[in-house]
Parts: sequence; structure tokens; C-alpha cells
Amino acid sequence: MNEVENTIPLLIPCSSMSTESNKTGSWRFLRPLFDEKTSPCSAACPAGEDIARIEMLNAQGMFKEAWETILRENPFPAVCGRICPHPCEAVCNRGEYDEAIAIHTVERFLAETASRYELKPSLPRLTAKKQNIGVVGAGPAGLAAAYFLAQLGYSCDVFEAMPEPGGLLRWGIPLYRLPIDAMRNEIAQIESQSVHIHTGQRIGKKFLQDVRNRYNAVFIGCGHSRTIEIGITGEEISAVENGLEFLKRIRSGESPSPRGLSAVIGGGNTAIDVARSIVRLGGKALILYRRRRRDMPAFEEEVQMALEEGVELRELVAPVKITEDGGQYILTLQEMKISGEDSRGRANILSDEGKTHELYVQHVFKATGAEPAEDWLNPAEKPGTSLTLSNAVLVRPDKGPALVFGGDLINDTMSVVHAVASGKQAAMALDVLFQDGIEAIAPKLRACLVGQGPSLSMEMYMGGNRLSRNSHVVSYNEINTDYFQFQPRIKQPRLLREERLRSFEEIDLKISTNLAIREADRCFNCGICNQCDNCCMFCPDIAVIREKGNQKRRIDYDYCKGCGLCVVECPRNAMTLKEEEL
Amino acid sequence: MKRVIEGSHAVAEAVRLAKVQVISAYPITPQTHIVEILSEYCAGGTMNARFLRVESEHSALAALIGAQSCGVRTFTATASQGLALMHELLHWTSGARLPIVMAEVNRALAPGWNIWTDQTDSLAQRDTGWIQMYCEDGQEVLDSMLQAYRLAERVYLPVMVVLDAFYLSHTYESVDIPTQEEVDRFLPLYQPRFQVDTANPCAFGQLVPPGAYMKMRSDIAGAMEGSLNFLNEIQREFYEIFQRRYDPVEAICCDDAEIIFVTSGTVTSTCRLVLQELRDKGEKVGILKMKLFRPFPVAMVREAASRAKKIAVVDRNFSFGASGIFAQELRAALCNVPEHPPVFGYIAGIGGLDVTVELLKEIYWKTKNAAFPEKESIWMGI
Repeated sequence: MNEVENTIPLLIPCSSMSTESNKTGSWRFLRPLFDEKTSPCSAACPAGEDIARIEMLNAQGMFKEAWETILRENPFPAVCGRICPHPCEAVCNRGEYDEAIAIHTVERFLAETASRYELKPSLPRLTAKKQNIGVVGAGPAGLAAAYFLAQLGYSCDVFEAMPEPGGLLRWGIPLYRLPIDAMRNEIAQIESQSVHIHTGQRIGKKFLQDVRNRYNAVFIGCGHSRTIEIGITGEEISAVENGLEFLKRIRSGESPSPRGLSAVIGGGNTAIDVARSIVRLGGKALILYRRRRRDMPAFEEEVQMALEEGVELRELVAPVKITEDGGQYILTLQEMKISGEDSRGRANILSDEGKTHELYVQHVFKATGAEPAEDWLNPAEKPGTSLTLSNAVLVRPDKGPALVFGGDLINDTMSVVHAVASGKQAAMALDVLFQDGIEAIAPKLRACLVGQGPSLSMEMYMGGNRLSRNSHVVSYNEINTDYFQFQPRIKQPRLLREERLRSFEEIDLKISTNLAIREADRCFNCGICNQCDNCCMFCPDIAVIREKGNQKRRIDYDYCKGCGLCVVECPRNAMTLKEEEL
Repeated sequence: MKRVIEGSHAVAEAVRLAKVQVISAYPITPQTHIVEILSEYCAGGTMNARFLRVESEHSALAALIGAQSCGVRTFTATASQGLALMHELLHWTSGARLPIVMAEVNRALAPGWNIWTDQTDSLAQRDTGWIQMYCEDGQEVLDSMLQAYRLAERVYLPVMVVLDAFYLSHTYESVDIPTQEEVDRFLPLYQPRFQVDTANPCAFGQLVPPGAYMKMRSDIAGAMEGSLNFLNEIQREFYEIFQRRYDPVEAICCDDAEIIFVTSGTVTSTCRLVLQELRDKGEKVGILKMKLFRPFPVAMVREAASRAKKIAVVDRNFSFGASGIFAQELRAALCNVPEHPPVFGYIAGIGGLDVTVELLKEIYWKTKNAAFPEKESIWMGI
């Protein structure tokens, strides 16, 4: 209390004593915690990428750190930024607010930035282990397995039948979707992690016998390279081309010229790739699919672009006969009718009896799915103890090295990111097998699930910071949207339709740094702290302490009254309010 | 320089000339024009002040309590429900001895919704420790605002400058707007006797024992009383610079008056016409214009009114269960004067109803023809 001398009496309570002696923390019955949680995108990413954090780092301009955060879970950001069907975006909480974050666009931007500056990632690597591992097939699954095994300290040899590694990325995906340098840079980056790739080495059944003494385990990821027969009359006509082979010919440098009208049979991504390639080579393409467009397994965006480019689609028709007629072919098409839908919403179809018609075409391509080229690639053929995981099957034969089957041989969804998930799971499973035995695999992998799984995190497996995340997946209604403003999603710049038809140039163009930052800045960063400091600003007790140096915040429980303001005002649910234990 | 401006803009010009540093307000008819123009002044650089947009009147005043505690000059404006919402913080402002100045545009309280003038909103805040000044015209509004800062910062009490909705806030009149140099001479920069200062940390307003609390309250009472003296001093200085003065009560022709009207706000202007007319007919009538309501200028009222035969108070307000509020105050001021005149209470112009020359004349004749008030309040015009 003090009284200022003046003619006007002015007694006011004033204290210059510190209030620190009043430990208001003793009033608390609720305790706020910094409790980072799981973003829906990261849980939906088969590779379990830490997307909320990647977007945060990108928005802060920390491009190298953002790129390395991807590399901890996926060695292929340049590839996945382009051709991954990005299931992450379908579950993005921002999608309920305005539009989902263009996660794949930011991912590709980071890979390109790393490549432009020739960045070398600093990734943790565990101490060297004595076991050697052989990998069969240098597709994305095999390469990912080798990459993650190298991180875990194993030396790996990868064997590839083709003259260059990459598998379908190299020999299947057309250049307009995936330019060759994007893939080569990332494979070079994997090789730099002491992964040895041996090309031109076809691996037969006998190989496993041969390598028994050289390797302690073998990962088998040689994919599906044999096109499934449709089983119709005339299929054997030599001119009926195999879609995958056609794509491989183009990617090997040939320029076939499918003049006239080509029929492409199938509804998957291969059918779309074949049809779009035909258009670029000067032909006309007609896709024949026995179900409806919405039932096609091909990615919708790819179907849309194919149609824009002039590819035609005929739904609900099944070829039943192919005949040759003076240099062209007559396809007999059976019309199909729908009879309800299956559990996934796909049409059940029946032949519409009596309704057939003929179609004259100059070429026929089959793209109706593929299967393993050899029977021994089926894990069921192997005797011994086997363990079926979500993206890989581990077999421990009575004699010889452990085998892990992965990639398209095992995955239901055949995409590059599922291949990465498979390679990662295989690497973890083998590491647990060697360190703790087969019984420990399931529980150890469960501890690395992102959210409720099935995605796995290698960072978590290696004991990184992500291990402290709560597995709760943040939902839209847990976001405090008062702190966000409507802002439209970035519009992907693309080649004009006319430009696309003239060449195999990449369609999706690069984006500038400021656009990438702006897009990443739209991210809610669900469940993770981006140091916005709302908690500090709103705390009435100045009990949120900014730690010097490490960008962290902590709560001073001597003074925190447990009012919960910080938790409510956290825009991204990176805090939790818990009842105090008495 | 004379300009024809709205009463609202007279407030805004005064705030600009007073070099207010923080303004916080929430819009409400009929006050909005005031802060509208001030927000433009802040945005356009005419004023070097922070304009805080807030979500309610409660927050508007709370923000100013914080700002004023840091030793800056502040301003807010409100009306009716907005003032009612500030109620808790009105007490806090005076208790914390913060010289905040507010423009209060008298508007009727809901329900029924009514945006027109009525003094009940401000008079209902009479016990909150705010000095209250009522204005008759645009010039008085501008001048009272400048004086309000001088007085508030001298006695460490908040001041409410009150003006009638529409009759004053939205009416264009010729107003002499002083130059910055003149105003600077009259109103120097605010030099706080206490303030929040990070270089010298301290806290204000904590728990005090009953004895200290009672002393604080008696200090506020003392400051209220002292303000009457300072107001006199301030009027003198103001007159020297601007050649205008406003006394807490203006006694018009009261010396020989038998019946004295007691008025406030714009009703006074109308009453001046009535006075002229009645005087021309030989009626001995006077007007006591109440400019200052808090502190209530008891001595001046007694001096001007106790010799009259009858007092006719025109109240544009009502305290339910009692009477018009100015009438109550007049009765209280006069009750200890031996043989004081009877006080006739008239309720007029509630909810913005016009108080016309005819109505005031009717009040005069009613008063003249009754020996004693037949009841405490007579509702006129319904």
C-alpha cells in the first residue's frame, strides 16, 4: 500500500512484492499436458510419413529437415510426390474445412528442392550388424527393404534381372507421370546408404539354394510381371499385345506407332497408361471395361486426364472373341448388366444374354492384371514356419535363410507407397527376428504403429522422437478452427492438353517455393506443436515456459492452476487436459 | 474554425485534439458514428492511436482499464445496453482510480427495443464513482470532452460525457473546433501518478483489509468533492483560452424567479424558448440547467433554488418505485434547507418522445396552479 502525495487523496493497493511465493499450482485439479497426437494423414499413409510435421517444417522454410523427415519413412519422395494415389489427402481434416492440403505437391517440391541443392541427408543409422541380406528385385519394395535394412545396420545386395533398377517405376510407369531423373536420383540416394545393386542378374528358383551360405535372409519382391490370360478365343493371336510389355518397350527406348484405333482391355492403371501412351504415339485408344467407370481400379485422376487427352472409354462390355480380318481385328463384345453391388460398392456383373456386337480395331492390348512370373514366388509353396503380416509374409524354412515376400506379391493395393510399406515392414521383421526371435515380431511391430495402423514408422522403431506421440488420431472437431482462415488449395500447374499430346513430357509442372510454403502453411498440423505460442499467450499464470534453444515448451506446475485455457486455445490439439491423480 | 458537424463528430474531434492514445469500443446505435470516425482517424494516420476492436462493451472497458493502467490517455463510447454491460467495470475503473473518459449517448433500455433518447441508462450508473456531465449542444459536447480529460487526470476519477441520442448525437450544428495549439495549452500530456511499468514491476488492485478499503472509498468520495473545486479552476483556464465556460449548474434568470425549471440535456434549449415567452408575459420563471450530475453540486443548487417558491423538475428518466432521478436529487439537496420550496416532479420525453414548448408550458401552468405537488411524479404526454 502506498499513498502518492498530492492534494487529491489517492490510496490504491499496490504491491511490488513478487507473487512467486503464491504457488497457485496447488489449486489445480486438472492438468494440461503437451501431448502430441497422430494426424489422420500420417495414419492413412501406408509409409506412415510424419506429414503434419513435414508440412510444418516446409511452412517454416526448413526444407532439408522436412525432406529428411520424409526419408526416415520413405526413400521415394520424388516418386511418391508424383505417382502415389495419396490416400493421405482423402482423410485430411482440412478437407472438412475448405479443401485438403496438396500433400503430394509439397512432397514433390521438397524432393526437387533437395535435388536442386544436391542435399545429402543426415539420417540416423544403427550400428553395423553381422547379418547379410539378399534382396531379389530392384523395384520399389526391394529397394525400400534394402534402404531400411541399411538404416538398421545390415549390408544388402539387391539383384535385378533388368539392366537398370527401378522395376515398374523404370519399365512400367510412363515418363509423362514419372520422369527418369526423379527416380534415378532417389535410387542413387539409396545406393549411397551402402546398398549394392547388381543388375542383369536373373534370379531363378535355384538361386535360393546358391545363396544359402552367403545370406542370412532373402527378401523377395519381384512383383507381377506375367499378364493374366483373359481366357477368350483368339487371345493367342500374336498381334494381341501385352500392355505391360508395350509400356516396357516404350521405356526401353522403342517408339512403336500404333496407327488407327487400339482397343485396350482392362480397367486398371496399366490400361490407362497404355491408352495414354497410344495417344501420344499418334494412335486412338478405346478402353473396354466390363464394369462401370466408378468401379475401375485405376486412380480416378488418371482416368480423368486420359479422357481429357482423347482416350475413349466403353463401360460394361467384355470381349469374348478376337478374330483377324485382313490386317485388322474384329472384337466380339458381350454387353454386361449390373446385378447389385459387392461389399466395396463395386458392381456385380452378368452377361446381358444375346446382346453382343462387333468392333473393328487395328490393335488390341491386354491390360487385365498380372501375376507372379514363377510359381516359387508364392510363399505358400514354402515349407516351414510362416508369419503373415499386413504387407509382407515371413517364412522360416526348416533349412536355409529366412525368406520375406513383399511388394506386389503380397499387397492387395499395388502402389509404390504400398511397396515401400512392405519393404519397411520386412526390414523391421528381419531385424526383430535376428535380435529377439520370431515370437517378438508382432509385439515389436505393434509398438511402431502410426495411429491404429497398419502403417509403421521406422523413426519410432529406431527410438526417435515420434515414439512419444499419442496414437490418438486427431479428428476435425478437435481442431480449433477459429485460428484458421479459408484459403483455396494450390492449383497444380499442368501442361496444356495440346502440349501433352505431342510428347511424353511430364504433365505436372514444378511449383515455386512461395506457393509450396503457402500450401504447407494451410495445414492444421493436426496434433503437433508448431510453436504458435497460443498456450503462452493465453496462460493467465505465465506458467507456459519457452525453453531456450530447443524450441520446446513446458508447463510450470508450481503455478499452473489447471484452468485449461491453453488446451482450448491450442489450434491443433497438441495438448490434453487430464484429471489430476489424487 | 467553425464547422457544421454532428454531435457525434464533436466528440470525435475532441478525442483527436486530446491526443488520445488508446480507443476501444463496440458499436451500438446511436454511438456508432463516434467510433466510426475515430477508427478512420486511426487507420488513416490522422490520430496516432491504437483502435482496439473488441467483442463486447465489457471487453471494451476492460481493455481500457489495462491500457490506462499503463499510463496512456484512453477513450470509449457507448449507449444503453452497452453501458449496462459495462456495469461491473464501471465500478472497477473508479476503484482503481483510472481517469478514463467515455462518451455516453443516452438511449432507452430494452425491451421494447428503442434507440431514442432516455437518460435512465446513464443515471442508473450514478453510484459507480464516475463523474457525469450532461450536454446541451454540439459545442458543449466538444468542450466538455476536453474538460473531462483535464478533470479526470487531475482527480483520478473516470468521467462520462453524456449526450442525448439523435437530438444531439445525430444533429448537425455549427461547432467551433479549436486548433491543436490551443488544446495543447489547455490539456497537457497525461502524467500519471502511478502506472504499470516493466522497469519497476508492481501489481495493482490486490486484496486489502477492511480498514484500508474504507479509506480507499473515502478517498474516492474526497476526490469527487475535490473535483467541484477543480472544475471551477478548469473553467477559468478554459475561458481564458476559448472564451466559453460551463458551470456545474447554470442558473438562468433564477434571482427573482418564483418557479424554477430544472432541466438537463437538450431539453434545456427548448426550455430557454419557453422562458423567454413566459417572461415576456410577466411570469417570474427561471431555469436551473444541470450540467454536472456527479458529483451532485448540492451547494450551487441550494444557492440558486432555495429562494424560489416552487421547483419543477423535468426528468427524461425514471427510477421505478421512486420518481424521476433529478427530482430525487433535488429533494435530497434541498431537504436540509429550512423552508425550502416544494419539488414538483414531471416525467417527460421518455423513449425519445418530443419535449415540446407546449409541453413545458403545460408543466409551468400545472406547477403554478397547484399549491403543493399532488404526487411525486406526473407523467406528461401520455
